[in-house]
Amino acid sequence: MSNEYDRSGEPVVQRFTREFLGEPNRYQIASAGVALLALLTVPFWAGQYLYVFALASIWAIFAMGWDIISGHTNYISFGHSALSGGAAYTTGVLVHNVNPDMAMYITFPLSILAAIVIGLLFAVPTLRLEGPYFSLITLLGVLVLTQLVYIYGEYTGGELGITAVSTLTYNLTNLYYYTLIPMLLIGAVLVVVSQSNIGRILRAIGENEAAIESSGIDTTRFKLWAFLMSAITMGIGGAMLAHFYGNITPSTVLVVDRSLEMVAIAVIGGMGTIAGPIGGAFVFIILRDEVLTVFGSTGRWLALWLIVLFFLVFLRDGIFPFIWSRIGSIGGGRDE
Amino acid sequence: MISDIITILIVGAMISAIYALIAIGFTMIFGVGGILNLTHGALLMIAAYAYFVTQPYIGRAGGVIVGIVLAAVASYGVYMGLVRYIEENVVITFMATIMAALALQEAMTMAFSQQAQVLTPIMPGSVAIAGTRMQYDQLLAFVFSWVMIGMLWYYVTNTKDGRAILATSMSERGAIFTGVDLPRVRRQTWLIAGAFAGVGGIFIGRLQQTSPEMWLEPLTLAFMIVIIGGVGSIKGSIIAAYLIGYIETLTVALLGAPYRVVVALLIIIAVIMYRPEGLYGREYLE
Amino acid sequence: MSSDTVFRIDELRKEFGGLVAVDDLSFDLQDDEILGLIGPNGSGKSTVFNCIMGIYDVTGGSVQFRDTDITKLDTHDIVNRGIARVSQESNPIPSSTVGENIDLFTYPNDIFSLTGGASQAEILDIARRFDLDEKLDTLPGSLPHADVRRLEIAKALATEPEMLLLDEPFAGMNQAEIRELSDQIRDIHAEGRPIIIVDHNMKGLMSIVDRVVVINSGQKIAEGSPEEIANDETVQKAYLAGAEVTN
Repeated sequence: MSNEYDRSGEPVVQRFTREFLGEPNRYQIASAGVALLALLTVPFWAGQYLYVFALASIWAIFAMGWDIISGHTNYISFGHSALSGGAAYTTGVLVHNVNPDMAMYITFPLSILAAIVIGLLFAVPTLRLEGPYFSLITLLGVLVLTQLVYIYGEYTGGELGITAVSTLTYNLTNLYYYTLIPMLLIGAVLVVVSQSNIGRILRAIGENEAAIESSGIDTTRFKLWAFLMSAITMGIGGAMLAHFYGNITPSTVLVVDRSLEMVAIAVIGGMGTIAGPIGGAFVFIILRDEVLTVFGSTGRWLALWLIVLFFLVFLRDGIFPFIWSRIGSIGGGRDE
Repeated sequence: MISDIITILIVGAMISAIYALIAIGFTMIFGVGGILNLTHGALLMIAAYAYFVTQPYIGRAGGVIVGIVLAAVASYGVYMGLVRYIEENVVITFMATIMAALALQEAMTMAFSQQAQVLTPIMPGSVAIAGTRMQYDQLLAFVFSWVMIGMLWYYVTNTKDGRAILATSMSERGAIFTGVDLPRVRRQTWLIAGAFAGVGGIFIGRLQQTSPEMWLEPLTLAFMIVIIGGVGSIKGSIIAAYLIGYIETLTVALLGAPYRVVVALLIIIAVIMYRPEGLYGREYLE
Repeated sequence: MSSDTVFRIDELRKEFGGLVAVDDLSFDLQDDEILGLIGPNGSGKSTVFNCIMGIYDVTGGSVQFRDTDITKLDTHDIVNRGIARVSQESNPIPSSTVGENIDLFTYPNDIFSLTGGASQAEILDIARRFDLDEKLDTLPGSLPHADVRRLEIAKALATEPEMLLLDEPFAGMNQAEIRELSDQIRDIHAEGRPIIIVDHNMKGLMSIVDRVVVINSGQKIAEGSPEEIANDETVQKAYLAGAEVTN
């Protein structure tokens, strides 16, 4: 008999890679390696796009943060920019109102804490319930936070925002690595989580929550845990975005459109895979800021949303899982 | 003091009537297919712009009719052209409908710019009721709302097609057993929901604003009202629409307009914590 | 061998709105017993199971398991205390293979556990018991009906239960499959697990249950050995009223 369940005496290292990475063939390993190498060497082959790639790295963090909860469990958040925006505004408000020279080792943890607190306000009332409650709360949450920014305009700068945040660096190459490295580290952690028991349980919750509850798994606890990981990720990304732009306005970091961009990136890249949304972020940001600009400032958005619709209807799994399985079948993959 | 209370009572009734129009279509679509149609707000926008464009040529009544018809047709189109192919996956439908709404927002921006447009009054003039000055259009919205609710009630209780819709929203399985043509019920529901959204959209566009971003607020209102009323329940939606309408009117009077959405969030959290099935939600039988 | 009461339902009551689905029902289960819970369609059998498993909040009464009150516990707590239920509907995770579906039911309820769960050999063992060992890499969607039902029981066993609830296990099976499944149920029981089986048809149950509780409209109308129940007039009447003969 030859199925993958007869594997007595399998070497530990092999078992570990199989547990966490599946069984990629040599072409898949090669393409993943090439992609990683390409990202690490962008300054040498695409120097003029460094700013765009750096921005895409931050958006990759956001998309992964969305994906670990919404992409895995199918509890769709329409308000994740409230978490990242809340973190960005925490950095901004501290610098703007308390002390312009406040060190990052103070503002950064506080910003992440803000994302967690906002996240818990969303999650605790809604995640114990199935159904659309979570989506409604997240949607309302981001609208409320945006409104609060206007109401407390004397502290937040209102529509014009806060410009006092220090930028990371003016050297584009450094800027790129400052965003890429944290993104890859977060990505590595979340890929391991996604490929572990936890990720499988979260995806099973997305497919059939009642069934997985009857296996003895406390689904509410797992959802809250996933959301906490998501909030921390959004907090890191949000604080980074504040320093990336050096200014914070509702429309660049907070409004609901930013949340929907995160959804779009995860959909294009491949929901529930973590690695997919990373790639999706680069595809989306490059389309938005470089390619689709030929349609004009409004037309590019129309084109983008139509592309996302195309994916939802015709390629639900997203582009990267599709490519991955195509490459997987090059060597005459097993039975798929 | 007394006159303030009367003002709140009257203003609240007018705005609630429009909210009921918006929420009914949203809840009907959920009732017959389990779908939360997030393009619903964009249908309002389509009706408002249709009135804006056609009214100078074909008059006010003509503009209203074109607006309603176009919203109904657009709703039907969203179902036949998009939702029908993906409705078996609720989550995909959920995301696709909001992406479609965003696409419509950008299309409207390209056609009419970001600028908010001012709509010609449907019935110009105003009248003082108990010391409160009301535009005729506000009263007209109230009348339209109840006339349409009455027509819907007649339709679902006294016509064959209407009863099929009602039966489907109570139990899809039961409806199939009694020979209801489910695809037909869904098509009709989307058409009716679109017409309701069209009426709501023209009045929102006329009394608040007509802009490419006008879809979001009514959408969140409809979403909230439906959760509070109990998903799928038309009666619950009407009552919840008045609840939200009055609470908003009070919030604006006491705290100021910017706090509307803040109070709304607090209410919805309270509902979710203490009565997640809503006012008229039902616990599922086996 | 002396037997102890391992499980007891006391005055269990469940109302939906004004409708009484389970009406002050009481029965118990000995630790060496297979109990049949039968009744016409719509008599409240599955509701009883849903109340036991914490899927519905009960209106009144209590559920005891090994001298602990489990009435108010969440489903996952009840499963972790040792009760597993095989529900009437099959609901495997469609995108996971048979093996992964079984594996999922062995994962620890621990948010920090990255790799816990049964070993491949243990999964193979469970699968072998239900002739699924050749199909571990198959997706549930392409399995025949009887295999999907077997997978449900395999999943329930993977949680290492001390007691099993089976909800209409024979539905949709042919005679040969019913015989085979009956043997498997006897084996599971012989390993020391008390079992409650719900069915609306007594015939399939007669050969494997030790005792039968009959309910109608949520009330217990008879209780006794299979032979006694087969000859009980109240039971016959209840079934005739429900237009279903026990034959």
